[in-house]
Amino acid sequence: MTVLDRPFAEAFYESLIRGVTGISPDILQLLKDARDDETPTGKSMLDALIQNVELARKMKRGVCQSPGIPCIYIRSNPELSGINIRKIAGDSIIRATKEGYLRPSIVHPLTRKNSGDNSGPGIPNFEMEVDPSLDYLEIIVSFKGCGPELFNAFKTFTPESLGKNLEGLKRFLLETVINAGGKPCPPIGLGVGIGGQMDGAAKLSRMAISTRRWDDRNPDPELDRMERELKDRINQLGIGPGGAGGKTTALAVKIGLAYTHTAICPVAVNFHCWVGRRFGFRFYADGTREEIL
Amino acid sequence: MTQPIHLTTPLSGESVRQLKVNDIVTLTGIIYTARDMAHLKLRELQESGKPLPEALEGSVIFHAGPVVKKADGGFDLLNIGPTTSIRMEPHSDFLGRLGVKAIVGKGGLGEGSVQAFKNYGMVYLLAAPGCGVLHAQAVKQVKRVHWLEEMGMPEAIWVLEVKDWGPLTVGMDSQGNSIFQAIKEEGLRKLDGLVKDWK
Repeated sequence: MTVLDRPFAEAFYESLIRGVTGISPDILQLLKDARDDETPTGKSMLDALIQNVELARKMKRGVCQSPGIPCIYIRSNPELSGINIRKIAGDSIIRATKEGYLRPSIVHPLTRKNSGDNSGPGIPNFEMEVDPSLDYLEIIVSFKGCGPELFNAFKTFTPESLGKNLEGLKRFLLETVINAGGKPCPPIGLGVGIGGQMDGAAKLSRMAISTRRWDDRNPDPELDRMERELKDRINQLGIGPGGAGGKTTALAVKIGLAYTHTAICPVAVNFHCWVGRRFGFRFYADGTREEIL
Repeated sequence: MTQPIHLTTPLSGESVRQLKVNDIVTLTGIIYTARDMAHLKLRELQESGKPLPEALEGSVIFHAGPVVKKADGGFDLLNIGPTTSIRMEPHSDFLGRLGVKAIVGKGGLGEGSVQAFKNYGMVYLLAAPGCGVLHAQAVKQVKRVHWLEEMGMPEAIWVLEVKDWGPLTVGMDSQGNSIFQAIKEEGLRKLDGLVKDWK
C-alpha cells in the first residue's frame, strides 16, 4: 500500500458512480445529433434512449441494468504503478454493487453460480502498460454490456482471402453487422482490430471502441478513411436504433492496427451497445487528478 | 407514430392475433422475467413431470434481469431492461405449449420462433434497449420471486406488476411477419453493392 492509495480510491469511486449513472458526453451528443435525420420510428427510439439517460442522471441510478464485465485500461509511470489498483477497483465495484448501481452479473463460466457482488477470478479485466515517459497514471474504466459480445467475430485472413481492393475484408465486416442486426443494442459502436495474432486483434478491437472518444478521428489517414467508409455503409443497412428500423445503426467505428506476420491477417470485430458507460482520469504523484473521459 | 393499443394480462388469444408488426402497445398487469437459466429449469421441470412455479396461460415473458434492493418485507426494483432475446430462441415452441402469448425483449427472435408464433398465436414485443431506468418506472410492485438463491438476481424469475408499460413495438406477429427478418434480408440484398463501391 502506498500513501496514494487513499486519494486514488476516492477518485476512483467518485468517477465510477459518475461513469455508470450516465453515458460519455461525446456519445450522448452523437445520439442527439442523430435525431434530426431519423425516420419517425428511429426518432421515437432515440428519444427513449435519451430520456433514459436523463432519468438515470436525475435519479442517480445505473443507466442500464447490465454492467457487463468491467474492463480497466491503465498506462502508468513506473513510480505510480505501485498503487494497489486491482484491489481498489475490485472493492469499489463490490461497493457499487451493494449500493444498487450495478447488478451482480458475474458467474462461474461452467457452474453458472453467481458470485453475488461482481467479484471473481479475472474480474475486473485489466490491461496494464508501464510507460516511463508519463508523469501520471492514466486509467480508463469501461462498463460494456455483454449482450453485444454474442455477435463479436474473428477471422484469420490470408493475403488471398483479404481480396482485391480488400473486398474479402469489407464483406466480412458488413456481413458481421448484418447478421448481428438489432441484437447488440444499436446504435452501436464498432471496434475493429487488425493484425497481431488472435488475442492481439481481439484486444485491439475491444480497446479501440472502449477507450477512444466516439467523435474523434483516427490519426492514421488510411484508417480514418476506412472508419468513415464503414460507418457510412453500416448506416445504409436500415437496422436503426433498437433494431426497429431507421438510419442510425452505428454512431462510431474505431479501428486499431498492429503489424502481423507475413502469412496472416487476423481481424476481430467487437460490438459496443449505445450505452457507453466509462470514465477516465489522469492521476498525478501529488494526488491530484484530471478527467479525460 | 400510431396510437398505442392497451393490453391487460392475462392476454386473450384474440387480442394477440389481431396485432401486426409495427403496432405499438402498452401492457398492464402481471409479467414474468425469464432468462437463459429460468427457461432451462422450466423445461427440465416440465419434462420430468414436476409442477411449474407459475401458471403461464395468457402470460407475458420478459427477457430481463433486474437490479433490486431488499426493502421492508419485499424488494425495491431500481432498474430493469431487456436482454438479448436470441439466446432464448430454442424455447419459443415450449413457451407456446405453456400458453405464453407475448415475449418482450430486444433484438428479436429467429425463424423457429416465427413458426411457433404462428402455431400458438404469439407476438414478440420490442422494448427500448439499454433503458433500465425508463422501464423500471412502469413496475408498480415486485409480487414475488422464484429461484433467487439458486440462480442469482439476473436469472431468477421475478413476478412483477406493471402499469401502462410501453411503448413496446410489435416486432414479430402471429401471421409470420418479423421486422428483424425483413431488415436482415434488406441488408443482404444491399451487401454486394456496398462492398463494390467502397473505394
